[in-house]
Amino acid sequence: MRLTRIDGTGADHWPGSAHEARRFIGDRIPQCSGVEGLSQESDRYGRAEEPPVLVEPKVIEGRVFRSIAVADPGGARGNSAFAAFLDGTQRIEIVSQQNGIPFVWGTVAAAVRLRVDRRLVAWPKVAPRVRRRYYMPFRYVEQLAPELLNDPRVVDTGEANSKGVIPSKHPAALMESAVRKVQQDRELLEREMAEAWCAREDGLLYVDGSITSSPVVSRSMNAVGVIKTHRHLYAGGDAFRVLVGMVRGERTSVFSVAPSSRNPVASWYLRVRSAAGRDALFGLVRVEAADCADMTNRADEISRWILAEGAPLALPDGRWDKMTYGIRDTEEFLRAIS
Amino acid sequence: MSDSFGRIAANEPLGRVVATERRPNTPHEFHFWTAITSPVGIGTIVRVDGANPVDGQIPRIYGIVVEGFSYTDLQSPMYDVIGHDGSPASAGFAATERAEIRLYTAAVLRQIPEEPLQPVPMGEVFLSGEEDVAVALRMDSYLKEGARTGIPVGVYRAGGTDSVIYLDADFLLGPEAAHLNISGMSGLATKTSAVEWLLASVFAHFPESKGSIAAVCFNVKGPDLCYLDQPGRLEEGDRVLYEKMGVKPGPFENVRYFAPYNAKGFGLNTLRSNEALLDNVTPLTWGLREVLQYAEVLLNKDDSGAKADALIDFIRERVVDRQFDKDPYLSREHTVQSFGDLEEWFRDLLRGLEGKNSDSWRTHHIATIRKVRNRLSNISTRCAGLVTDSGAVSDVPFGSFGDRAVYVVDVATLEEDAQDLIFARIVTKLREHLERRDLGVKNLIVFVDELNKYAPGDGHDTYVRKMLLDIAERGRYLGLVLFSAQQFRSQVHRRVVGNSGTALFGRMDADELATPGYSILSPATRTKLATLEKGQLMVRHPHFTQPIFVRFPRPAVMQGRDGAERYPQAAEISLDTALYRALRTLDRGVSFAWVKDMVALYDEPELLRARNATLLRKPDDVRTFFEAQLRRVIPSQSTAVNSGATTAGTIAVRSLPLGDPYES
Repeated sequence: MRLTRIDGTGADHWPGSAHEARRFIGDRIPQCSGVEGLSQESDRYGRAEEPPVLVEPKVIEGRVFRSIAVADPGGARGNSAFAAFLDGTQRIEIVSQQNGIPFVWGTVAAAVRLRVDRRLVAWPKVAPRVRRRYYMPFRYVEQLAPELLNDPRVVDTGEANSKGVIPSKHPAALMESAVRKVQQDRELLEREMAEAWCAREDGLLYVDGSITSSPVVSRSMNAVGVIKTHRHLYAGGDAFRVLVGMVRGERTSVFSVAPSSRNPVASWYLRVRSAAGRDALFGLVRVEAADCADMTNRADEISRWILAEGAPLALPDGRWDKMTYGIRDTEEFLRAIS
Repeated sequence: MSDSFGRIAANEPLGRVVATERRPNTPHEFHFWTAITSPVGIGTIVRVDGANPVDGQIPRIYGIVVEGFSYTDLQSPMYDVIGHDGSPASAGFAATERAEIRLYTAAVLRQIPEEPLQPVPMGEVFLSGEEDVAVALRMDSYLKEGARTGIPVGVYRAGGTDSVIYLDADFLLGPEAAHLNISGMSGLATKTSAVEWLLASVFAHFPESKGSIAAVCFNVKGPDLCYLDQPGRLEEGDRVLYEKMGVKPGPFENVRYFAPYNAKGFGLNTLRSNEALLDNVTPLTWGLREVLQYAEVLLNKDDSGAKADALIDFIRERVVDRQFDKDPYLSREHTVQSFGDLEEWFRDLLRGLEGKNSDSWRTHHIATIRKVRNRLSNISTRCAGLVTDSGAVSDVPFGSFGDRAVYVVDVATLEEDAQDLIFARIVTKLREHLERRDLGVKNLIVFVDELNKYAPGDGHDTYVRKMLLDIAERGRYLGLVLFSAQQFRSQVHRRVVGNSGTALFGRMDADELATPGYSILSPATRTKLATLEKGQLMVRHPHFTQPIFVRFPRPAVMQGRDGAERYPQAAEISLDTALYRALRTLDRGVSFAWVKDMVALYDEPELLRARNATLLRKPDDVRTFFEAQLRRVIPSQSTAVNSGATTAGTIAVRSLPLGDPYES
């Protein structure tokens, strides 16, 4: 069996595509057979989602969870103070298997796109990051070479989770574990990029997703997180009626979000597009920002900036009602380079 | 990146080659994208440096941009409408502009190495510098020191690159290929200006090794070519171009004009009739001998026929310039040297035939004789001013053409018949002299405008068209090169334009561009052609695998409109003024009083004949020579004595009219 030294420094050859990854791993693990034709289906694995829950908001702006108009719903969009956009992508493919155990090839990437003269360009201070790794359950793989075992670019998906549960040999369970690991890697890249921004720039960064994972970012006045998915809906009790009744240009009262093992931030919902004739969550985003003394004004200001990002549309992306064009551009950019 | 003038550093790529399965690159075409601020446009010449060597050599590909695309990531126009709430005005307030691409298609001009010919590889795209342009257009082969045959046609400009584009004299003026054809809309100062500029360039750069060169220009409309010896208005930008292309920004130094007289015969039938410009204008007059050879030009299909042709041939061979006597039908001996003599001969012959009640003469039927008489006699009427009854000849100086001289034959205001006759005879004579190598120059350019009219693609065959075809197909072997121009290339005979090795295009009419002849051009190139500015041309030349866009300077000669304003055409003048002006060009001592005396004494035809003879001879003593051409006037003293009148009261008696008005 031919083995190439893999020391994790990146100086040696490492696959740059799923096709290469298939051949690479096939050369190194016996009884391993390539899996073809799944690249187009890779998106079906998606992201590991948590179950949807309704959470009672802990209001920090006033006492009541209410809707507040921050912009005229029929008026012109104002100016935006966002200087850049941060997003990450992940791509997962099963490239090989050994006796039914899937070997996953995951690609994660993150980038900041800077706005210069109304056009988006790569942030020159920190290059976009792309990481490609194998994800496999070491405990189920036979004759795994030590070089692979000790390579940080080969991730063990057979480890016990936070509750101490070890994934079974069920391919779906192994896939879910792999997807979760890939997602963690993506979030890590995004966090690194966001922290780099906060350390080097004075402008405001639009982060696609939560900023609670980083203590630096969650406390920075230079980053705002915008969450499009609402698995955790902070609208328990009477707040739900308020939330679904919001019209375009309205935000909710600011509430505190402090997930376990994460960092607390101030948060509020904002309706960026009218939901008339649509489902209740259409055009609804949750905004996360560092808590500050004048949170009301800060929330109004940030809300107006987010509303100003409503054009151009992010179509044809299916999440166009919540996604800004800057984030779509960043995703397209990452798709092109990763 | 580019500086504020759009200039890009030569070593900085301005684009990248891209290819997809749907839109792959081929050996003759490739695609590349650029920054949206890039100075690339239709007609820009670019260079691609390949990444991987072929046979040990990094491939270099030169191309010219023939098509451009611009689009954003917008997948449906409706998305933009929705995004801006249906209000175009609000689009300007969007925080971000959509990602946008400038994608260009380039046609390959040259690949190095030329073999193996492969599809254009991926690589960086650079703006071509001067050296690149020379290589791309294969100009390097004829710009070598010691063997330069380049004739500047204009300057190629793109992104700060100013590169002189040269035509190869071997392919413009022969012997490899030859002829030039210019197409363009009228009134945009393109066709004539381009020819004037190119003639100046040819005269400045024609290789010494190829011998002498001159040009004959037929001015077929307006005053366009009437002031080639007068300086024109140039702007600083034009002077820079002249300097860059090594051409002196001045009028032509050796120009001669030729024009027939007007119908009355007093003045010349040209827009260049202003007295201040007459010193290099020569009358163009031909007699019977000159015209009869080209009678075919003036006879239409009904006129000509085997019988008429036979009689004309007989007259040409046996009558003209010969002593014709001992004929039973003729009352006297005839020596036919002019249209007047010919008319006398016809009249005598017909009178003889009628007297003897005969209906044929030497196998020629009397009806044919009458018809030929009618047509030939008519020529001097139809071409009055050009054809003289007297046979006096004043011609283009065949045999003594000067190097770098321009001979302009002004036929702009003549009848069509006269234009055809002049054109046919002069070109035929030029060709004969070039065949005999005794024209005076080794190479000759003939410029003819309005080729739509003289060599149309449809209609019956004419003498002039046949002659133009002959020049186009065989002229280059003789050193006879046709520079032709027209508004609609599609309407010119295919063999004339097809044999033009070099073609220039100014701004074109959209209808013309829709004809099949332009289908080889990309839509973008056609659009550019339809919107070309003054002073811009598209050039096709045998060395260039694709058409190239160039700028040329304003010609350094006075433009027709300026000249017509500064030197207005002479008004209709009286006989005495016409004589005075004509003779003054030979002798400044000729006085108006003396001319008036002559006019009082002699008939108009006699005076004009004397003027023509004097102008032709250019004698040292103009007045003596002029008077010698006139019949002597006998003093009327005896009459005065008989009548008892005093000497002081006598007046000179006019001589008899030349023709007998009572003779039938």
